[in-house]
Amino acid sequence: MVIEVKNIRRSFRSPKKTEGWKGAFELLLHPKYKEHEALKGINFTLEAGSFNGLIGANGAGKTTLLKILSGLIPPSSGEARVLGYDPFKRSLPFRKQIALVMGQKAQLWWDLPALDAFDLLKAIYEIPDRQYQERLTHLSELLDVKTHLHTQIRRLSLGERMKMELIGAIIHWPRVIFLDEPTIGLDVLAAHKLREFLKIFNAKEKATVILTSHNMDDIEKLCSRVLILRSGELIFDGCPDGLTRKGEVSLRIRLLENPTRSVLASATGLPENAIQETSPNPDETKVIHFNIKQDQIVSVLQALMKQFQVIDMGIEELSLETVIQRLYEGDSTKP
Amino acid sequence: MKLQWRLAALKNGFREATAYRIEFLFEIVGSAFVPAATQFVLWYALFQTGGASQIAGLSYSEMLHYTFVSLLFSQVRGGDHDFELQEMIRSGQLSNSLLRPVGVVEFIYLRGVAPRLFIAAFCLALGMIFSIYLGFSPMRLLGAMFLALIGNIIHYQIGAALSTTAFLWEEAYSILMVKNMIVNLLSGELIPLNLFPSSLQWIWKSTPFYLYVYGPTQYALGRWTHSEYLLQLGIAMIWIMAASLAIHLTWRLGMKRYLSLGG
Repeated sequence: MVIEVKNIRRSFRSPKKTEGWKGAFELLLHPKYKEHEALKGINFTLEAGSFNGLIGANGAGKTTLLKILSGLIPPSSGEARVLGYDPFKRSLPFRKQIALVMGQKAQLWWDLPALDAFDLLKAIYEIPDRQYQERLTHLSELLDVKTHLHTQIRRLSLGERMKMELIGAIIHWPRVIFLDEPTIGLDVLAAHKLREFLKIFNAKEKATVILTSHNMDDIEKLCSRVLILRSGELIFDGCPDGLTRKGEVSLRIRLLENPTRSVLASATGLPENAIQETSPNPDETKVIHFNIKQDQIVSVLQALMKQFQVIDMGIEELSLETVIQRLYEGDSTKP
Repeated sequence: MKLQWRLAALKNGFREATAYRIEFLFEIVGSAFVPAATQFVLWYALFQTGGASQIAGLSYSEMLHYTFVSLLFSQVRGGDHDFELQEMIRSGQLSNSLLRPVGVVEFIYLRGVAPRLFIAAFCLALGMIFSIYLGFSPMRLLGAMFLALIGNIIHYQIGAALSTTAFLWEEAYSILMVKNMIVNLLSGELIPLNLFPSSLQWIWKSTPFYLYVYGPTQYALGRWTHSEYLLQLGIAMIWIMAASLAIHLTWRLGMKRYLSLGG
């Protein structure tokens, strides 16, 4: 196993800031702190060469987990091993074999052309001349940025810059790559190109990749395994197909009445976890989603119409995005 | 000790500093202009207008020589890469450097010092030319520039240790600013340190700041003997070792508190 995570917990303490003058003086003279648990006992292992998606809503703990695995911060408790190393010790051999790309943090130097930055990275990672030239040619061609290598980073478009960041991050051929929202802010074409590149690189070089993204296309097209975090807990660990089971649809219904989930469950004979409720507006009635097989549609509808008045209905394909959106929204529903 | 990445970091830092040529030249000339003008006006007022013949044993021409020579070394002292470090800690940008297989503090120093080395070479050449007219030894100037470069290291080391307060309080800008203000006064950039009252001389003698500008100037102008110079070099080495220890301890403690914010 390349990555092993055992019961990792991480909490943060931050000053409690209240508004107004009183709050300002309180913070100055007698600051109060609040504790926030970002990760709550996470366990998983990842195999060498696998492409893994780490997803969750904002604040779910994804970046915290990546920071722990890359050795930037230690866990409050529990144990993480990456390539057999304790990440937080940040030993030289460990640092030479990993890469972290943060979509929101530039690693290259803005006022210099990318080529200057790559030259420095070549020296830092002690990459032999020939190998460096081969890799640079290969990566810049694959990402289609060969003509921009001499351009100052700050003059590049966001997409081109992100591609340069990626080249800079992997020019040393890391065995483990952490990608934190690499397609953030990219247009469809640039994101597609980046995904294609990651796919090829992973398949060819057998590097283990952990990718966090809010773009479900990234997850669907790249990841063979998905880990979903919700409020610091790992609520799903498996292949993306496991989330969108074949032949399943979502029956969307709005009723005049406002029955609870348990009432709906007993009326339809479905388990409660197959029923989800969302409220588009506080004034409107709830929208209820029944995740059922196609051949159950008629019987569920008949059962509902016997007891309630249906005011709106529709049938939706269960896309990964829909499933994950529901998972984020749900408090107790687990897949 | 691996030389390859260190040389590459120097080259990279120099390339970055000179990416904007006009800005680079203005930084050198502009930062020299204000202290030089202040001192020239001050000495003129005291000697020419005020009628003083000597101040702290120095004549008007000796004061002007001090002002000119000290300018050469005060240009070497500068650099704000300790500010860069504190900003990196505060913003979480430090994360990028932490994951590279090189020491962060040294890496930032090498990238930051590169333009200073160029300035030192330029100032040395300028000083050599003027030494012919002003009558001081080129060899002494060379030794003095070496001491000024050692001073540059100490200056950064102190800044690097102080910047770790950003791990604790998230912001170390004011501390570094105050340090720089103290350095301005106690390095001999603004006035020769022998102008301090004798009862207060201990203040500048108990800091390493005088090794940045005052010490090199004294040696270049022949006011320090060779043995005094060697003694001061030894003291500089002790400061380097003490500052290295301070960096090691403060960074070790600081890293335990690092949150890598902003991502």
